[in-house]
Amino acid sequence: MAKQKKEEAIAPEENINTLPVPATNGNTVAEQSKAQEVVKEENVHLIVFKLGDEHYAIKIDQVKEVTLTPIITRMPRTPDFVQGVANIRGDIIAIVDLEKRFNIRPAAVTEGLNPNVTYTLVIEAKDYSIGVVVKEVPQSLNLSMSRIDRAPSFLQDTNIKENYIEGIAKVDNRLIIVLDMLRILSSDEIKQLTGK
Amino acid sequence: MKSREQEYKEIFIAEALEYYDSLNRHISELEKQPQDDRILAEIFRLLHNLKANAKAIGYLQISDISHKLETAFSLIRNKELNFSDEVVTVLFDGIDMLGDLITNVDNPVPVEPDPVLLRNLDIIVDSLSDSAIELAKIQKYSSSKNLSLSDLIYIQIKKLDHMLNLVGELIIDRDRIISLSRELNNDDLKVVSSHLYRITEELQYSVMDARLVNIGTLFNKFPRIVRDIASAEQKDIYLKIIGQDIQIDRNILQIITDSLLHLVRNAITHGIELPKEREKANKPRAGSLVLSARNERDNVIIKLEDDGRGIDLKQVRKTAVRNKLVAPDIAEDLPDSEVLSFLFEPGFSTAKEVTEFSGRGVGLDVVKNAIDSIGGRLHIDSISGEGTTFAMQLPTSIAVKGALLFEVDSIFYAIPLIHTEQVIALDKDELHEVGDVMVADLKGETVTVVYLNELLNADEATINLGDKTRLQGQIQNIVVVSYNNRKLGLIVDKLYRQQDIVVKPLNKPLDKIDLYGGVTLLGTGKVCLVLDVPAITRYFIHRR
Amino acid sequence: MKRILIVDDSFYMRTMLKNMLTDAGYEVVGEAPNGQTALELAKETTPDLITLDVILPDNTGLDVLKGIKKDQPEMKVIIVSAVGQEVIVNEALEYGALSYIVKPFSEEKVLEVVNKALQD
Repeated sequence: MAKQKKEEAIAPEENINTLPVPATNGNTVAEQSKAQEVVKEENVHLIVFKLGDEHYAIKIDQVKEVTLTPIITRMPRTPDFVQGVANIRGDIIAIVDLEKRFNIRPAAVTEGLNPNVTYTLVIEAKDYSIGVVVKEVPQSLNLSMSRIDRAPSFLQDTNIKENYIEGIAKVDNRLIIVLDMLRILSSDEIKQLTGK
Repeated sequence: MKSREQEYKEIFIAEALEYYDSLNRHISELEKQPQDDRILAEIFRLLHNLKANAKAIGYLQISDISHKLETAFSLIRNKELNFSDEVVTVLFDGIDMLGDLITNVDNPVPVEPDPVLLRNLDIIVDSLSDSAIELAKIQKYSSSKNLSLSDLIYIQIKKLDHMLNLVGELIIDRDRIISLSRELNNDDLKVVSSHLYRITEELQYSVMDARLVNIGTLFNKFPRIVRDIASAEQKDIYLKIIGQDIQIDRNILQIITDSLLHLVRNAITHGIELPKEREKANKPRAGSLVLSARNERDNVIIKLEDDGRGIDLKQVRKTAVRNKLVAPDIAEDLPDSEVLSFLFEPGFSTAKEVTEFSGRGVGLDVVKNAIDSIGGRLHIDSISGEGTTFAMQLPTSIAVKGALLFEVDSIFYAIPLIHTEQVIALDKDELHEVGDVMVADLKGETVTVVYLNELLNADEATINLGDKTRLQGQIQNIVVVSYNNRKLGLIVDKLYRQQDIVVKPLNKPLDKIDLYGGVTLLGTGKVCLVLDVPAITRYFIHRR
Repeated sequence: MKRILIVDDSFYMRTMLKNMLTDAGYEVVGEAPNGQTALELAKETTPDLITLDVILPDNTGLDVLKGIKKDQPEMKVIIVSAVGQEVIVNEALEYGALSYIVKPFSEEKVLEVVNKALQD
C-alpha cells in the first residue's frame, strides 16, 4: 500500500484542524507528526476525538491511521466493549468501543451527523494493532507540552484508571483528556479476554 | 525379516553418525576450552567406541582412523601434544574423514581415506610436543579435496513457514480477485483470474510439498527408544513399524513428537505387563507394540496399538467421580468411549506408580492439547486384558484446511472438516426436548443437539438450550461435530458449501479467546470466524 | 536360566553381546548405558553376572565396579575392554573382577569367559 505524505500544512499551535479522512484508504497520520517534531521540541501532536460529550486525545505517534469504520464482524461471547473484528487491508484487527469500556454515556445524536458513519483510529501497539471507534471526525491538535496538566487532582476519583490518563489540556475552554493508549492496550483487562 | 547382519550394520551406522556429530560438537568446544578434561574424556570415549565397534563389524579404515585420533587425543590429554592450530586442523580433517567413511559404508564404490591425511595423523601421533618442524610439513588436507555441490539443500524451516504464510495471503487475495472478476463480468479479467487460480494452486501445493517429510524420520527413532525403555522396565517388547514412507508436514510431525513419545512410554510402562504376568494371562512373553501410519483422504492416521492389560475402566470411573468430573450415578451409565475421554482431563491419571521413563506430571491432557492445537483428533480405544489403541488423526498440511461454511445470526462461521462427522437436515419434530437439552436420533445414535444461535448469542442469564420454540423454521440444518469421543449436533441458520480456507490466527488481544481458532477472509472480503470445536464443546459442557 | 546384566555405553556393543548371550540360552535382564543406571540395575535385578565396559560416559568402569562390590561383594563381574587398557584391566582384577574380554570379541571368546565365570 502506498503511504502518501500529506502536503497540507497543519496549523502551528493551538489550532484545531479537521483531519482529512480519506474515504477508504487511511493515510498514515504518523508521517505528519515527524515533520512537526522538528518544529518545536516542546510541542505535542494529538489526535482529538469525542467519547460521550467529552473530548479525548491520543498522541499522534500512537495512531497508525484514521479510516472510515469498515464492516465489523461481531464476535459472540466476547466482552461488551469488543465490537468485533474488521478487515483493514488484509489485517484482521479487533475493534473496541471505549465508551463501553469506560462506561461513558454516549452523546445524544447530533443533528446532521449520520449515525451510521463512524471513524476508526487504528492504534499501533508493539506487536499488534487495534481499532478504536469514534462517532465524529477526529481532529488534529498541536500544542505546547506545558499546556498539559499531568497530575490533575480529580484523577483519583474517576473510574478511568489514573495511569491511563497522561494529563488534561485546556484549549479554548475545552477540556481534553489525553489518554495513554499503550497503557490501556497492555492492561490486563484487555489482554486477558477470554471466551467466558 | 531383516538379517542380523543388516540390523547390526544399521545400528552401527546410526550410532556412528551420532558419535560423529558429538565429536564435531566437542572438538569445537575443546578449541575454546583446550584445558577442559571432561570434554577430552568424552571425545576419547566416543573415539574409543567408534574404534571398537568398527573393528567388530569389520570397517577397518574407520577403526584405524579412530585409533589414530584416539591416540592423538590421549597425547593431548597427557600434555604430550599441544592443541595447536595445526594440530586442530588435522584433527578436524580426521573427524571429517570419519564422517565421510561412515556415510559411505554402503557405497558400492568405497571411499578411500586420503593418504595425505593419514600421513598427517601419523606425524601428529608419532611426533612429540617439540616437533615444530615436523608439524610444519603438514599439508592441508582440505585443499586436496574435490569440491562438489550436493543436489540437496538444507533450508531452515522458518523460511518455509514464511513462504507458507505468504501463500496463504496470496490465496485470500486470489479468491477476492476471482469473486470481483465475476461481479465485473469482464472476460479478460476472468481469463487472467482463472490462470491466477491455477498458478496459486500449484504454488500452494509445491510449498506444502516442500515441507513434507517421511514419517519414518520420526518412527525410526523408536526402535532404540523402545529398546531402552523396555530394558529399564524389564519388559520384552516386539515393536512393529508400518508406513514409514507416509508423508506429513514437518511442523506437524514436530508438534506430535513429544506426544508420541509419551504414548509409547505409557504403553510400555503401564500398558504392557511384565513377562511373567503375560505368561500367566496366556499371552506371549513379549508384548507387541505396533506403530503405524496411513493416509486417509487429506489426513494422516497415526496409530499406536499395544496388547497390554488395557485401561481399567472401573478405575477411570472411580477417579472421575472422586475428581468430581461426573456424578456417581451418571458415571455408571456412561458409555465406555465417554469414560475413556476423562483420561484427557488435566491431571487425570490412573497410573499408581510413576517410573523413570513415564515421567512426572505429564498426562494425556498434554498430548490431547498438542493434537488439538494443530486441528487434529485423538481417539482412544481399549479392551480390558487385550490392549489399548491410540489413533491420532492429523492434517497432512497446516496451511489450507477443508472447512464447512455456514451462517448464524448473519455472521459467517467455518468449522474445519476434520471435526465434522456429517451434515443432516432434520424436521423440528425429530428434535426432542430432554431436560435442558435437545436430542436427536441419528442412525440409531442419540446425539445432543444445540441451537448455535442460542449458545452464542442468547443473554447468558436467560439462555435455554432445551427450548425448541426458540428455533426458527421447520427444517433444521445440523452440523454434527465430534470431539473427545463425544458427538454434538450444531443447528445453524444457513449452510453453505465446503471450501478450502486459510486460517489466520487472531491477533492480540483476541488471541486468548479460545472459542475461535482464527479467522479467514472470504472471497467477498468478509471476515469469517473459524469455530474451535474443542472449545465450543467445552463451552457447551460448562454451560450445563 | 542364568541372568546377566550388560553395561556398555555403545548400543551396538550391547546389541551384539545381548544377541550372543541370549542365543546361548542366557537371560539378559538389563542393559545399562552408563554407570548410574548400571548401579541401579545391579541392585534391582540382582543378576548372576555383569559384563562391564571400562569406559562409561558418567564415571569409569572401575568406580562402577567398586560400587557394585560394596553392595554385593559376591557379584560376578567380567570386564569388557579394548586393546591398550591393560592397566585398567589389571586394576579391575585386583578389585575383584573375575575375568576380562577384549574388544573386538568373538562369540566363542565371550561364551568361554561367561560360561567359566558362571560355572563356579
